[in-house]
Amino acid sequence: MIEARGLTRRFGDLTAVRDVSFQVEDGEILGLLGPNGAGKTTTLRMLTGFLPPTDGSVTIAGHDLLDEPAVARRELGYLPENVALYPEMRVAEYLAFRARLARLPGRERQPAIDRAISGCLLGEVKDQIIGTLSKGYRQRVGLAAAILHGPKVLILDEPTVGLDPKQIISIRELIRDLGRERTLILSTHILPEVEQLCQRVLIIDRGRVIAEGTPAELQGHSDLSPELVVTLVASDGTGADAIEALTALEGMQHVSADGSVTGRFRARHVRDADPRESVFRLAVERGWTLLEMSQRRPSLEELFVQLTTAQGEPTEPAGALSQGSSEGVASETEPSDEVEPTDDVEPANAEKGEDPQ
Amino acid sequence: MSSFLALLQRELRAYFVSPLAWAVSTFFLFVQGLSFLMIVSFLSDPRAAGEVTPFVILFTSFFFWITLIFVTPMITMRLVSEERRSGTLEILLTSPLSETQMVLAKFCAAMIFWCFLWLPTVLYPLIIERYSDVDWGPVSSGYLGVLGLGSMFLAVGLFGSSFAKNQIVAAAATFAMMMVFFLVPWFGSLATGETLQLVFGYADLLSHMEDFSKGIVDSRRLVYYLTTTALFLFLTVRAVEAKKWR
Repeated sequence: MIEARGLTRRFGDLTAVRDVSFQVEDGEILGLLGPNGAGKTTTLRMLTGFLPPTDGSVTIAGHDLLDEPAVARRELGYLPENVALYPEMRVAEYLAFRARLARLPGRERQPAIDRAISGCLLGEVKDQIIGTLSKGYRQRVGLAAAILHGPKVLILDEPTVGLDPKQIISIRELIRDLGRERTLILSTHILPEVEQLCQRVLIIDRGRVIAEGTPAELQGHSDLSPELVVTLVASDGTGADAIEALTALEGMQHVSADGSVTGRFRARHVRDADPRESVFRLAVERGWTLLEMSQRRPSLEELFVQLTTAQGEPTEPAGALSQGSSEGVASETEPSDEVEPTDDVEPANAEKGEDPQ
Repeated sequence: MSSFLALLQRELRAYFVSPLAWAVSTFFLFVQGLSFLMIVSFLSDPRAAGEVTPFVILFTSFFFWITLIFVTPMITMRLVSEERRSGTLEILLTSPLSETQMVLAKFCAAMIFWCFLWLPTVLYPLIIERYSDVDWGPVSSGYLGVLGLGSMFLAVGLFGSSFAKNQIVAAAATFAMMMVFFLVPWFGSLATGETLQLVFGYADLLSHMEDFSKGIVDSRRLVYYLTTTALFLFLTVRAVEAKKWR
């Protein structure tokens, strides 16, 4: 369990992180999301004790990081950004060094090293010199070293950056496994990663928390309206009257033709409305052949862009969202079945293929 | 303690796998070999004064000062700056190891490497002993001076390394700080007033080594080395800590 209270960090005149508070329980994975330079790394460095906060405090498994640094740090596993390792050491040797550095008692060292090596799939490279390893392997060595001493809290700074897609999948699986029994915090700017891994998300921009909640909550409470993707073949071959007819339906806000596929339309509608039935009836009435109809919630990506580009008045979206997330906790059980089906529809969507990786 | 030993061991290993260490020891032994040549030619000179021990040369010659000035910054320059550049400092400082332990482990490793460099020179008196008498008293006090001055300059070098991200900058800064130590007696000669001249005179490193090599062990000098070492190690710890705040 890790708790941060009012973390603030100033570098001279620049306030890199401002009043960040949160709590992460055992078995929970928290994602720290934000554009580059938002203060993610600074926040994580304060959580690990590498940077002392200008203001605020961090408690790791009940130990204050500033008052009892040695005890608190023993409960902490940390994978820094750009995984720093000693290039001249061999993998097994490096892990042995880290085990001693973490003050693991002598007889527990070898079993812990073996466990980390097999857990991070490092068996075949354990006698190689770290400097000769590929980036993916180095990342895994860093991760193995971070979990070696069985820390209760694991902090990973952009664990999948610079990896190939296959390596990303294996690292993500590993992270998910690791998160089952410990408290895990990871930072990233890759949104699908957050959707796949994290139970809770903290969106940070310009040093402040601008949104917090489960990925589903955040999606459910964004100001962006849901979208219906409809593909149809009209017998008379015209699309213009389809836009008109669709817009006339109840609850529709804006309908536009999707440029990539003829006959595909994107229809934004108000959040509470479900115009799928009326779209179907309209199609029957007009004699259109309906090829596709899928509903999608605004993705975390759109929400992220919306939140982080709200320049000028940062108080407004923050206020709107904090209100939203408190509502979200109360209504969490009910809308969950409303969110689930959207995820099922999701694969039909072309958007899904555009994973930034 | 286990994390201290782990780091000490890693540092020592890092010395012996790096080509720099072997280049440094080659340079070192070459220069010390020249000292040995001088000792041998001194001994084979029939005009040489009988009572002077030839090992004065090993500890006071131009070659001694060259190795001290050039080798100590090379030993220490990478110690902290390399970790800062590569980011491994973050791992050390987030481990249960304290800043003080980290600095001490690095200093001990540098000190052990310094001793390793000097170890082969013990062969010189051993070789000479087969052909002539060797007075081991002045020889061992000379080595005491080597350890004292070495620890002082290694601490200065570690401090230089602690605030620079670049090894060359670290070495250059160390070099500049070392120069101040050598300039102290020169300040003394400029000073007016007997007390000042006396104070600056105490810090004259060249005369220190002359005395050590003759077998004169002055505890004030040892205290001077130890306190200077302690001061610079303390400054290093503070520099490592202070970097976190900026």
